Amino acid sequence: MGRQMTEMLKGTLEGIILAILALQPAYGYEITARLRDEGFAEIAEGTVYALLVRIEQRGLVDVERVPSEKGPPRKVYSLNAAGREQLDEFWRTWSFLAARITQLHDHIETRGERP
Amino acid sequence: MTNWIEKVTGSFDDKRRWRAYKARKTTLPAPYRTAIDGVERYLMHSASVVKGDVLMQMLEDLLELIETAASDGTPIRDVVGDDPVEFADTFAANYSDGQWIAKERKRLAETIDEAARRRPERSGESAGRAPRRAGDPA
Repeated sequence: MGRQMTEMLKGTLEGIILAILALQPAYGYEITARLRDEGFAEIAEGTVYALLVRIEQRGLVDVERVPSEKGPPRKVYSLNAAGREQLDEFWRTWSFLAARITQLHDHIETRGERP
Repeated sequence: MTNWIEKVTGSFDDKRRWRAYKARKTTLPAPYRTAIDGVERYLMHSASVVKGDVLMQMLEDLLELIETAASDGTPIRDVVGDDPVEFADTFAANYSDGQWIAKERKRLAETIDEAARRRPERSGESAGRAPRRAGDPA
């Protein structure tokens, strides 16, 4: 994964995870798998976990611990009301940014070659 | 909660958690053990968390990640990714409240707040440039 891609994803990955949880509650590894299915390959499980820790600390998800046959209990994350609000905000911010950047790109394109 | 003995020796609870953490670590299979020791060492240097309870929370969260990976058989590379430093920094950011730098960040913000509130003392044109706010003396 390129450096620029990593940097840009850094600011958006939290919103992407919230969006995935909005569909249905999930375990950590399911979230990583879903990301891969959606074309976000090469995102380390640990990075997703780190963001889940943050999302949990900020009270954007409800967490249920499910006992596991081996290893520690697994956490199931589900988006709560605060999380849905945060996700709405993420989409608004994303739309704003995407529109501005596209507009900037169009302006530059239509000006043709530089002198 | 902290009594005077703990003020001298550090929190007993944090020490108990530290011992429990160390004990759980020894049950990890070799490659996972190596990985967690590596990440732990890096975090101790980079994150500089000074609050004992925040430090322990960080290490326990890390342990849970590695234990889960070990029991699922998730390869280390899939857990920490191509850039383990990137992973460790993202992870450490969750515990920034416990870092000594948190105090300095707060202080800087307050200093600038204070500076921004004041109007320049210099007379002349520049005096007019400070925005007036309601409540400022005329």
